[in-house]
Amino acid sequence: MPRNPTAAANESAVMRAETRRRWSLALPALTVITLCSILPLGVMVAYSFMEAGQYGNVQWGFSLEGWRAVFLDRDFFDDSYIPATAHLTILARSILLALATTALTFVFGIPTAWFIATRPPATRAYWMFLITVPFWTNLLVRTIAIQEVIRADGTLNRLLLATGLIDEPLQMMFTNGAVLVGMTYVYLPLMVLPVYAAIEKFDFRLAEAAYDLHASRLYCLRRVVLPLMWPGIVAGSILVFIPALGAYVTPRLMGGGRAMMWGNLIDLQFGQGRNWPLGAALSITLTLVVVGAMVWYARRAAKGAETNG
Amino acid sequence: MLDIRSLSKKFGSGDSAFQALKSIDITIEEGEFFTLLGPSGCGKTTLLRLIAGFEQPSGGQLVLDGKDIATTPPNHRPVNTVFQSYALFPHMTVAQNVAFGLEARGTNPAEVAPRVDEILGIVQMAHLRDRKSSQMSGGQQQRVALARALAPRPRILLLDEPLSALDLKLRKQMQFELKRLQRELGLTFIFVTHDQDEALTMSDRIAVMDGGTLQQVADPRTLYDHPANRFVAEFIGEANFLSGTVAGGKLSLIGQAPVPLPRGADASGPVTVMIRPEQVVIGAAGGDAITADGRIEALVFSGTDTHVTLRLQNGDTLSLRAPNNSHATTTFAEGEPLRVSLPIGALRLLPEDVADAA
Ligand SMILES: Nc1ncnc2c1ncn2[C@@H]1O[C@H](COP(=O)(O)OP(=O)(O)O)[C@@H](O)[C@H]1O
Ligand SMILES: [Mg+2]
Repeated sequence: MPRNPTAAANESAVMRAETRRRWSLALPALTVITLCSILPLGVMVAYSFMEAGQYGNVQWGFSLEGWRAVFLDRDFFDDSYIPATAHLTILARSILLALATTALTFVFGIPTAWFIATRPPATRAYWMFLITVPFWTNLLVRTIAIQEVIRADGTLNRLLLATGLIDEPLQMMFTNGAVLVGMTYVYLPLMVLPVYAAIEKFDFRLAEAAYDLHASRLYCLRRVVLPLMWPGIVAGSILVFIPALGAYVTPRLMGGGRAMMWGNLIDLQFGQGRNWPLGAALSITLTLVVVGAMVWYARRAAKGAETNG
Repeated sequence: MLDIRSLSKKFGSGDSAFQALKSIDITIEEGEFFTLLGPSGCGKTTLLRLIAGFEQPSGGQLVLDGKDIATTPPNHRPVNTVFQSYALFPHMTVAQNVAFGLEARGTNPAEVAPRVDEILGIVQMAHLRDRKSSQMSGGQQQRVALARALAPRPRILLLDEPLSALDLKLRKQMQFELKRLQRELGLTFIFVTHDQDEALTMSDRIAVMDGGTLQQVADPRTLYDHPANRFVAEFIGEANFLSGTVAGGKLSLIGQAPVPLPRGADASGPVTVMIRPEQVVIGAAGGDAITADGRIEALVFSGTDTHVTLRLQNGDTLSLRAPNNSHATTTFAEGEPLRVSLPIGALRLLPEDVADAA
């Protein structure tokens, strides 16, 4: 069908106006993103390529020293470069602890979320309140509270000693385990909330239908319940994994200097280490690891959606 | 085939306990289209859920093919359900939905695909087999729900108001198709509805329920012609209820001379007599009948016939039908006198309703 040229011109004018309107609507969001996300990130990238100042801070001048120090150490005796194994160890520990935290919050979070979502609607708000209450207190206070439980003369040890199960206090503080316990406690609500939302949205008549169609409970869980709750579980896992990977306060208090995580390493460079370019490079490295993991997951999810039809 | 014996169901306990079903006895035959009919809240869904296994009975037995299945979990009962909400799995395609029951039971994978194709063909949904179930109209979802429940070859198919969400035209079409399907497959259907027309047109037998009790179980014709009580008479079709008295085997009604009781009836004292509007004869009737005069109070034209409301001389009102065919001789007008006859053979004596008497 031949199109009327003036109508086409009008149409494109309307579309241009529409585009302008959309951009102006997006402006507040763009401003926030630029100020809070792109700008600081740019500063970090810039710092990582500068020279370290004598008393902290950075000095003008391009340098790859910061990035070099992420991966390579200068040998103490002959100035040759050797791989920075300490950093690798800390990165590996961070990833493993973050994964373990995600797994543990999953193990404890799913039944918790399930329990809350299956209460009568009137009492759900009350249970949700209990879960989120720690969130309203300072992270430091929460971490010290859990420290109180597991330190050498803490509640747990005293309890175990009193019951005669152990003869001398267990050394639980300043281990990977302590960091894990602390982080699981701190991040649990981040898993519970999205999973709870997914369970609450789930139509239990579907489970009934599956049961009616000869599915065992396990089969129903695998083919109906989990696939429909998957988005909530993924959201919870991401919400826990990312901050856990960059955690700083909890590993500092629970792990001390012995179970250091990436976040503490970064902190060290900006503090005592007085090596801001290295600190900045370490931060960017962490960001890249997270972004890499997300891209990998998104690709895999897209492929999975394709094959599942 | 399915024996429901003194089945009862109580929800809750103590003061908040609610008796949803009171000692239900029904025997359902193989290959039967059996309907549970009753007003909303009478316990139809509860009874269906007991048969499916989603609820445990508080008492009684549920015997299928000679085995008590009251405590068998739903996934081990050879019974499948078409849910009122359809409850299709939204993350699966039509074909995956239909295959679910077969796969869950561990059917040989080589047999699943042919069976799915066969069933989708039967419900005429083969062309949409790869569509996501969330992207379909109500009628299409209905067919998929039906296919999914049929695929595992149940001994009994349970349908809980499956047509209530469809518009009238589609509902009529699906009623017809469901009935045809049931006949062709020779499968036992237990069908729940609160729509008496639907029940009458589709069923081999109907169980009328009210307030958790069974009122009557019969084929549609018997239910209509010989309702067991006032509730059934009123719930199915329209009915005139007249108060009369029986003395010495004779019935006095609407202020007329006593007549012999209808055949098979036996009563004495005050009785409620029921007659369907279309059984009332205009003018004098041949044979045994009670004839009375009245005045026309209202006329409502309804196409095939006109609904006439008549005030009899003794004060009773009577509803009747005047056919609108071209050889109808009488013409009617409001306020005019009219003579009618009640054939004795069309009178039904109903037991006094306990609830009404209170
Ligand atoms: N799980 C339950 N707990 C308490 N009461 C229920 C439950 N299920 C149904 N009822 C009650 O039982 C009665 C019958 O319900 P139902 O079988 O759904 O009726 P119908 O399907 O005939 O409309 C209703 O009064 C309903 O409120
Ligand atoms: Mg119902």
